[in-house]
Parts: sequence; structure tokens; C-alpha cells
Amino acid sequence: MSKELIRLRDLCMAYDNEPVLNNINLYINDKEFLTLLGPSGCGKTTTLRIIGGFVTPTSGDVLFDGVRINDVPPYKRQINTVFQKYALFPHLNVFENIAFGLRMQKRPDPSGPAGKKLVRIPEEEIRERVMEMLEVINLKGFENRKPDSLSGGQQQRVAIARALVNRPKVLLLDEPLGALDLKLRKDMQIELKRIQQQVGITFIYVTHDQEEALTMSDTIVVMDKGSIQQIGTPEDIYNEPKNAFVADFIGESNIIDGIMVRDKCVKMYGREFPCLDGGFGENEPVDVVIRPEDIDIVPVEQGQLVGTVTNVTFKGMQYDIIVDFRGFKWLIQTTDHSPVGARIGIKIDPDGIHVMKKSSYSGMFGDYSSFSEEYDELDDASLALDEEESEDEE
Amino acid sequence: MKKNSAFNRIFTALVFLFLYAPILLLIVFSFNKGNSNTVWAGFSLDWYQKLFRDRLIMQSVYTTLLVSLLATAIATAAGTFAAIGFYSLRRRKRAALTTVNNIPMMNADIVTGVAMCLFFVAFFTLWSDFAVWFNGVQHVIELPTRLTLGFGTLLIAHVTFNIPYVILSVSPKLRQMDKNLVDAAMDLGCTWMQAFWKVILPEIKPGIVSGALTAFTMSVDDFIISYFTAGSSSSTLAMTIYGMTKKRVTPEINAISTLLFVTVLLLLVIVNIREARLERRGGQAAVRRRGPLAQRVSRTLSTPKGQWLRRGTAAALAAAFVISVTVLTSATNAQSVVNVCSWGEYIDEELITQFEEETGIIVNYQTAESNEALYSLLKSGAGDYDVIVPSDYMISQLIEEDMLAELDYGNIPNFDLIDQRFKNLPYDPENKYTVPYAWGTVGIIYNTAMVDEPITSWGAMFDTKYAGNVLMFRNSRDAMATALLYLGYSLNTTDEGELREAFQLLADAKKNGVYQSFVMDEIYQKMEGGNAAIGAYYAGDYLTMLENNEDLAFVIPDEGSNWFMDAMCVLKDAPHKEEAEAWINFIASTDANLANMDYIWYASPNEEALEQYPAYYEELYEEELDPAIYEIMAAPQEILDRCESYLVLPPETRMLYNTLWTELGI
Repeated sequence: MSKELIRLRDLCMAYDNEPVLNNINLYINDKEFLTLLGPSGCGKTTTLRIIGGFVTPTSGDVLFDGVRINDVPPYKRQINTVFQKYALFPHLNVFENIAFGLRMQKRPDPSGPAGKKLVRIPEEEIRERVMEMLEVINLKGFENRKPDSLSGGQQQRVAIARALVNRPKVLLLDEPLGALDLKLRKDMQIELKRIQQQVGITFIYVTHDQEEALTMSDTIVVMDKGSIQQIGTPEDIYNEPKNAFVADFIGESNIIDGIMVRDKCVKMYGREFPCLDGGFGENEPVDVVIRPEDIDIVPVEQGQLVGTVTNVTFKGMQYDIIVDFRGFKWLIQTTDHSPVGARIGIKIDPDGIHVMKKSSYSGMFGDYSSFSEEYDELDDASLALDEEESEDEE
Repeated sequence: MKKNSAFNRIFTALVFLFLYAPILLLIVFSFNKGNSNTVWAGFSLDWYQKLFRDRLIMQSVYTTLLVSLLATAIATAAGTFAAIGFYSLRRRKRAALTTVNNIPMMNADIVTGVAMCLFFVAFFTLWSDFAVWFNGVQHVIELPTRLTLGFGTLLIAHVTFNIPYVILSVSPKLRQMDKNLVDAAMDLGCTWMQAFWKVILPEIKPGIVSGALTAFTMSVDDFIISYFTAGSSSSTLAMTIYGMTKKRVTPEINAISTLLFVTVLLLLVIVNIREARLERRGGQAAVRRRGPLAQRVSRTLSTPKGQWLRRGTAAALAAAFVISVTVLTSATNAQSVVNVCSWGEYIDEELITQFEEETGIIVNYQTAESNEALYSLLKSGAGDYDVIVPSDYMISQLIEEDMLAELDYGNIPNFDLIDQRFKNLPYDPENKYTVPYAWGTVGIIYNTAMVDEPITSWGAMFDTKYAGNVLMFRNSRDAMATALLYLGYSLNTTDEGELREAFQLLADAKKNGVYQSFVMDEIYQKMEGGNAAIGAYYAGDYLTMLENNEDLAFVIPDEGSNWFMDAMCVLKDAPHKEEAEAWINFIASTDANLANMDYIWYASPNEEALEQYPAYYEELYEEELDPAIYEIMAAPQEILDRCESYLVLPPETRMLYNTLWTELGI
């Protein structure tokens, strides 16, 4: 059983009276890989900076090993950070960048009496530990290079080494892979997970990339508008989203208005569907999530619902098809080709239906009417928002 | 097309010609053997040699360097931290502050200068009230009650106008810096100050260095702001040059200007090269290769042991700087000082050196343009002098207004050497305040090559025959005197009718275009260069002009003239009265009077000096002094009898003079 290392209690943060975080409650276990996931401006970076000590929360507590550390400056915390765009010191070479933290450190003199005399780390030990780190990140032989002569991935790894060489209890990573290309990002995801397991410490990882979060995390914290929407394992988050926002943000979802007729039976389009959920009130309005891959296409006469294909996109492994069911457009992923204009029936297994309570997000997501534009805009939008966020938060 | 490009090329050439030809000419003539700015007499470095022996110039070079270096150091530190402060603000506040920062750079220097002068004077008044009160309530600390403009205010002014340039140059470097660098350093165990030294400073260093160089250039270059804030005891190089040009542009000024031009040019070149190099390097990933020694040094310096070495060196440098500044400033403070204000080219500077060597008293020697200018300087509180050398009528006025201190003639034994004729004169009837410095007459200087008959009357000054070729005094008393003399009235008349008649004569002549311009010391250039035919001025100055233009003649017209006495006085609230009396005694000696007479060509009031000068001249130049020349220099008693000296006028007459002078519209 792993023990609790960090706890955030009733954390609130506001910049110029504009709330950024509302009542964040969260605990993080030792050696856990925890991801703060959410769109730009959701407060994930602010949460990370509060843990790192770069900003002080407006109210609430940060506990480390049970001790309140709200007012402890960054340089006194056993926490190190890997920054967005790495923040390597341009005037120092790779060796000196990694050795920076060690040169700043003072510790009790091991040879002297158990007094309070603090000494610097001897040069030989620094050398040893830096070389060890260079080995961990596979950059031996690069120690005399300046940061600006390294590739993005190499700089990234130096940044990680620079943080880890101090043997922190927690490593904070702020969108560390954001600036890398897709292929490198995939490699680095695996590399990061490997490093975390090798050094055996807690990683707190911030990203807006849901796939990255699902791949690496032990626990995912989904955030939006300064609040935590859901905490859980990647499987929980994907299979049992708590509300329309989580369902939409993690993977693709069709979210349909429904009525919970009784336990294990939900009504959509005036028709009852068997499902596995329960515990709602009788005839309670709900949101129903149906993942595009959980829908089977069947002949019209066998279908639970019948609709018209309005758009087909070939995706390699599958087709993404958009089907109009009485004005509400669904995304269905299938290996079978159906031409535009065809009428098709669909069938959903009970375990493909996930019922959620209505929330403030109801009705905002899950319709694919503007399908093609939405697809294109997604990436651009997150980039544009990113810029805004970093400007606002500084 | 082709025609067009030829035109373009000529146009460009003309633009550059206008920009650089004057400077080029100045540089060329700084190497001229003769003392003309138009005739080339061969190559020589004489003027440069003279320059380095000129103590006034060397002292102002020292002041300029000290104030520029100190101001640069302080402004660079303050500006850098200010830029960091700006940087940490949110965008809107930062934009607002940046605008505020930019305004002083765009603001006219004259406004900045005057504003600062006013501010300092206002502060001194408040301070004086406070200090008096403070000294009254306790007796442990004695605060000085009287603060004056001087090196301190000059330095504050320079720091103030330099800071915006440093901020302007550091800010972009901060913006280019990765915002997370400081966080990263703090994350790795630095306090904010450590992060500043280890991370921010290396990143913004290029900006700081360019900022410092710009600030230094601005400081060296500044004239206007310095002029208003330096007070009487400090003078920067630019101020000294300005003072020197009032008389005429000598090749010595060409030489110092050339040096100043080259210095500023070099600094600008360094700044620009640096910036260009940084821009080039910014783009690409350049791995700098250092020589083995540099590598070893930098490696040593980055080890913990090297850190001590580095800190030690920094501490030693800082200490050396502080000590040298303290020593330099205390050297001037500990030594006694006397602040003298006189006229341009009115002393043999060797005398200053000699006095300083004999007594150890430092002389701050300044010059004023005219009695009236001196008076307004004193009234405004900006003229913080010990000894002044005003003319007779101005002395009466200063005594009347209780601005002069009674002298202790026990400290001035050389006063006995003054010719009895020049003691107890009307401006100081009991001779309690003054010791005569030099005397002379006013007359008409004319160019014999441009005027066909000898001039004998003041009428020439109003004659339309010489329209456009006459130079008139640019001060009301002397200008009105020429007219009053011509009309046969007393120089000291208070009759409004007579004064208005004299004024009308001047006004008509002005309207009829008789006057080329109204001048003071600019008359030197104009008469020596043959640019004007006739001008009224002082006899001693004529003799100096004669050295450069043999066609010039001098006459004291038949109607008579003004003879004047300049005398040394001590201001009532002078902080260095004892030193002031020592200075006066020194200048009153026969040796000093002989040297001065030889240098300025004005007559000495010292009886021995007057007698001995022809012999002194003969010994020095191995030729006889032309008696006619000596007569112009030291007019014999029968000529003096024809002349009248100025008396102080009653206030209402002075008002009338002002009104009329304003009406004339110079």
C-alpha cells in the first residue's frame, strides 16, 4: 500500500480577483504517476506551480508529508520541476546545467561532528552524479555542449536530468513534450515512464493531451474551469466518465439526452435500451454516453435506431461515419463501408451504454453536426489557447 | 532613369557633405599651425599640446569622466533592477510604465535641465528650513544649512537622465529570456538574489553593457542639463568648450572637439558592433571556442574554489572603486576651495596653477557673459561664488543691495600697491568692499581696409553709410552709452527726455539697417575675420584682435568715452571668505598684475605694474613695446580725464533702460 505524500486541501487561487482554482482537494501517493489533464486555462499549470512553490494559493493548504508548506520557497522544497520549453540555462553547458542544483546544495558535513556545519557537495561527487544522470538520459559525451546546439528531445532529457540529479521526492512536469514532434513525443512517453520506474519517485504531469495522459498515468485528474471534474485510473476515466465534459474530453463520445426509466433501462428517442447502470431516480433525465466504437451497424430491420449516413471519412483502420438520427448526428467508427445517403440500423450492447447525471455541461458536447470543422479546429484551438493561458498566468 | 540616378547620387553626396564637411573642417584645422580657422599654416600638434597643459580643460575632462563614470555605474545598476521590476509586471502596467520611461528621453533637454535646476533650488530651500530647525532642537549632529548646486546635483541629474536608456536597452533582453529560467533556478535551490546573479545577469549582460555604454556616451555628450545643474564649482568639458567659444573658436577648441568627437564615435562604434554581433549570434547555435587560457580561466572560475577567487576579485574591484571615489571626492573636499567667477579670457591661467601650488587652495574658475548675466545668476541663487569681478556700476548696485561682504584688508597687504588714483572710487567711496582688478576704456574698433577715412566720432555708430557693417553692444548700458556720448549727454543721466532721445537714435539706426548684429565677445570673430567694418568694444580686446588682423584700428572718439574698472569683491554669504581674500591678495601682487596685463591686454591698477610693464614686455619679447599701443592699453590721465565712468542708476532709470531695451527688440 503506497503512502500519501502530497495533499491539496480546499485550494483556491485568484489572479486580480479572477478565480483560477476553486476548492481543489486532491491527494497524491508516493511513487505515483499522476496527470493533471484539461484544456488550456483549466488551472492545471497553476496547480502545478502551487505545488512547486512558484505561486502562493489565495486560500487552502498544501501539505507535504503531513506538513503545511504553503510558505516554503521553491528552493527549500524536495520537489523539482521540468518546465515547458525546458528552461535550460543558455550560458551553461550540459554538464553545468545538470550540476547547477548540486552546486547550490549545502548539507551537514558527513565527516565532521553531528553539528550544524553545512558544507557543499564535493566536486568528485557532483561529477559522479552528473555522469550517472547523463547515462540515465542516454546523453553521455554531450557534457560540453551548449543547450542551443542540442535537439529538442535532447534538451528535454537534459531538463529532466537537471531536475532528477537532486534526488527530489517529487518531479513536476509541465507539458514537457508539448514542443516535440509526434514521433519523438511517443518515444519520450515511453522513456519518461521508464525513468519514473527506474528512479522510483512521484511524477506529477501536466498535459492537455488525453492520449498522453491515458498512456502514462497511474491516476488522471481531469480539470476544467478551475475545478476537478473527475479523479481516477485511465480505465475509469475512459469507461465511466462522470459528466459530459469528461466524456467529451477523453476520447470521442456521442452524448444523447435520455431518461432513466428504471435501473438498467434508459430511454432515448422514445425507445428503451437495456444498460448496466443504476442508482438514479425514476424517470430522471440523464446524459447517455455512447462511444463511437461501441456501435454496431446492422440491417435496417434489425436496428434499435435507424438513421441516414451524411458523411464518411476513411481513417485507415476504420471509417468515421456521421449518421443523422432525427436531427442529432452521431459519430460511428466501423470497419464496414456505408455510402453517403444510405439508411442504416444500429445496435448497442448494454455495456456500450454509459449513463451520467445531468450537469452544467449537459447539452454542450456530444453532437457531431459540425463534425468536419470541429476536427480541424481542435488542434489549432488548443495551441491558440495555450498562448493566452501562459500570458494570463504570468 | 540614368539621369535620375545621377541626380540621386549628387543629392546623397550633398546630404553627406552638409553633415560631415563641418566636422572634417574642424578636424583639419585642429592640426593647423597658425591660430586661424580659415588660413592653413602647416601641420602641427601644438594645439593638442596646449590642450593638455590647459588646466581648465583638464579639470573639466576630469569632472566629465568622473561624473560620467559614476552616473553610468549608478544608472546601470538602478536601470537594470528597474527593468526587472517592469518585466515582472502585467502587460498593461508595463506598457504604461514603459511610456513614462520613454518620455524623459523624448523630452527637450532644456526642459529637463531647467526643471531639475528648479527642483534642486526648491529642495535646498526646504532643506535649509529643516536643517535650521533640526540643529536648533538637538546638538549632536550639525546639519549643513546651506546646500548648493555642484558635483552632487550634477551627478544626480546625470543618473536621472541615464536611467531610461539603461531600461530601454535591458528590457528587450529580459523579454527574450525564457520566463521560466528564474523559476528553474529557484527550483534548483537558488534564492531570488542567487538566481539573479547566476541566471538573469548572464542572460541580460549584453543589454546591460550596451545600456551602460549608451549612458556613458550620453553623459559625456550632455551640455544643456549639465549647464543647469552643475552650479559654479563644477564644469564639464562641454560647458568649458561652450565658455571658450564665446570669445572665438580657437584651434584649441578644434582640438578638444576633435578628441570629443572621436571618443563619442568610438563608443558608438563599439555599441553598434556589439549589437550587430549579438544579433548574428542570437539566430544560430554558435559554439564559442575559447583559447586554452580562457578555457582554463573560465573552468577555474566556475569551480567552487574559483567562486571565491571570482568573488574576491569582484570585491577587490568594488573596494578599489569605492576607495578611489572617496579619495578623489574627499581630496576636493578636504582641500580648501575658492570659487571665482570672472570674464572670458580675463586671466593668465598660469596664475591659477601658481596660486594653487603656493597655497594648496583649489580654484574653481568660472566665467560669466556680462555684468547683467552675472547679476541674474546671483539673484537666482544658481551663482554660488566666493569671488566675483564685476564692473564699477554693478558693484555700486551690489553694495546697495547688501550682497557684498566687507573685506578684511589686513589679509590683503597687496592692496597698498594699488595706485592711489584707483582707490576710493565712486562705486566704493570708502573702499570697504573691493580691490581693483583691471581697467580700460571703450572705443571704436574699425577695419582700415573697409573704412576710407579715420573715424573720430561716435556718429559712425549710427551712420547709414556703414549700414550692415556696424556691430553694436548687446547690453543696454554700453549701447545706450554710445548714443548718449554722441548726443553729448552724461553717461549717468537720469533725464528721461535725454534717454529717450538716445534710444531713438539707436532705434532709427537699427531700423535703417546700420547694425549687422548686436554682439558681445562674438565681435572677435567678426572683426578679426573682416566680416564687419566698425564695432564698439573694449580697448584690451582690441589689442588681442590686432594680433590676428593688422588692419584694425582703435579710437577713443572726440566726444569722450566710458572708462571702467573691474574690481574683485567677495559675496556676502561666501562660504570660503578666507580663501577668497588669499586669492584677491595674490592677484593684487605686482607679479600677478604684470602677468595678467601681458595676457589680457587690459591696464593694471597696480602702480608698480603700470610703470614696469614696458620693461617687462621688452625683456619677455626682446622688442620694444610700441608706446602708441601702450597708450591704448593703459590710457594716460589726460585721456581718462575726457572719459566718464558708470555710476549706479536709480531703480526707475534702470526700469526705463529695461523697457527701452525690450522695445528695441534684440
